[in-house]
Amino acid sequence: MDNILEVHDIHTNIRQYHILQGVTVSVPRGSITALLGRNGAGKTTTLKSILGLTPPSQGKVIFDGRELRGMRSFDIAALGIGFVPEHRAIFRDLSVAENLKIAERRKGDLARKQEMIFTLFPDLKRLIHLPGTHLSGGQQQMLAIARALVPDNRVLLIDEPSEGLAPVIIEHMIAAIRQLSADSTVLLVEQNFIVASQLAESYVIIEEGRSVKDGKMADLVNDPQTIQRYLGAA
Amino acid sequence: MQNVTEQPSAKAMPLLKRAKDNFGSLVTLIVLAALPFVVALYDGQSLSSLLANEAGSSKFVQGFVIEILILGIFALSYDLIFGITGMLSFGHAMFFAVGAYLTGIMIKSFGWSLWATLGLVLAAGVLQALLFGIVLPRVKGITFALVTLGMASVFYIVIQAREFGEYTGADVGLQGVIAPDFLNPSTQRLRFYFIVVALTVLIYLLYKRFVTSPTGRVCVAIRENEGRARMLGYNTFYFKLAALTLSSITAALAGALHTLHQPIVTPNVAAMSFTVSALLMILIGGVGTLNGALVGAAVLRLLQFGLSKYFSESASFISGAIYVAIVLFVPYGIVGTWRLKRFERQKGWENLLKLMGVGKRKE
Repeated sequence: MDNILEVHDIHTNIRQYHILQGVTVSVPRGSITALLGRNGAGKTTTLKSILGLTPPSQGKVIFDGRELRGMRSFDIAALGIGFVPEHRAIFRDLSVAENLKIAERRKGDLARKQEMIFTLFPDLKRLIHLPGTHLSGGQQQMLAIARALVPDNRVLLIDEPSEGLAPVIIEHMIAAIRQLSADSTVLLVEQNFIVASQLAESYVIIEEGRSVKDGKMADLVNDPQTIQRYLGAA
Repeated sequence: MQNVTEQPSAKAMPLLKRAKDNFGSLVTLIVLAALPFVVALYDGQSLSSLLANEAGSSKFVQGFVIEILILGIFALSYDLIFGITGMLSFGHAMFFAVGAYLTGIMIKSFGWSLWATLGLVLAAGVLQALLFGIVLPRVKGITFALVTLGMASVFYIVIQAREFGEYTGADVGLQGVIAPDFLNPSTQRLRFYFIVVALTVLIYLLYKRFVTSPTGRVCVAIRENEGRARMLGYNTFYFKLAALTLSSITAALAGALHTLHQPIVTPNVAAMSFTVSALLMILIGGVGTLNGALVGAAVLRLLQFGLSKYFSESASFISGAIYVAIVLFVPYGIVGTWRLKRFERQKGWENLLKLMGVGKRKE
């Protein structure tokens, strides 16, 4: 299958710490790929390295045939890579409408996408003029994902979308991510294996800054030994 | 599908709605316009005497309000870079001082016309923003504050240097700048007053428009989290530079007005303490609220005046204690706290009206 994003053996240092020590990830076009691993394994750093927020010192990051290493983060974003950071990273001083509007890359992006966004997240339409501070955790997460949907992103990097959310909201989030993956490719970091297994078609396991295993999610689900060994879940 | 995310454009907005949105500005404008006449009436001064700019309480009040408004414009410019965009600068006084000194030097030493001088002041405003802009991509937070402090300190030393004393008046300051006849604050105080009032309102409305524009919303996003703004594809440098340039031009203009109004420009306007007073004004009024900067300027100047009148020796000590109390007990500033409580007040009114049986019933 044709890969839209390829990460080849990247190494990333943050201050004196050698965080990523050889991560390789291939993300097939039009699919959902999950980055799995224990806390502190280097999953979020992998996403940040792709985006140039923590630039890798070695290795290659290829997006649709183009090398991203050395590019500035806003130029990388402008190529069509959307990022939904962990901790519901919305702009709390801006209203829901302003949070969506600010994500426009071209004039009219939001007008074209708002029907799809409000179908996915009907709550946001009701709360459209409310400041971000007034939203609940689940609503903030929905807004963070909705914001990444406004421009025509070809790849969405989503970091821990289910973190700290109630089960009923997680169900809603899974449905939304599944629906949005119809139009774009998703690279997902998810600590909750049940959520990741429901969403992703393929996976990469990262341990201590190295990618140690990858394959089809359907195979991993039937491999309790690997799950126990690398993820600590049965 | 109806576009629910679009805000109505200024043109499409009915006049009544726009007046309602700017109600506070309108009331302030009316009060400021009426103030000289009301004070003259109270003082028993005739209209012809007021229009002839004869001495009296009205003339004093006009001068006092001019000082407040000039400080307010300066504080407003600081609120744009600190309160709205989140850039902490310790060198903001330099922006004001460049305008003040340039105006004085060009008019007094080189005999330039006022308009040519103002043109130069605006150009200098852009240049000094570009100077600060050089370090913008490299430093942020407290490092940016210290670098700007360093630049302003160099300027503070230069204007006091004896080598330039012929132009700047060295450590004594620039004295005897004569404003053009048509704008002379001694003989044309009322005209000067209305020009400053009009300029303040215009600058305030311009700032309000800037902050609610898409560029302004990106500036607010940068204040909250610059990394997130960059991840949306924004080169935040240009937005910070835009805010810095607008702020610098405004502060330089305030400096020019200061020189035209005062007979003397001292090096104090370039000192760090003057930047701190801008910070204090927006802390008192409310950081990032814009109109809080004007409220803060009024409170600061009134406090300075009142305390020095009644507690001449201990005025500084008392004013310091009051500022600490304001920052501790009104942490969002006067306007910031007012806005925070607005929702609760609205709820309270609705409940009261409901209790009285005249409240709107929700279907």
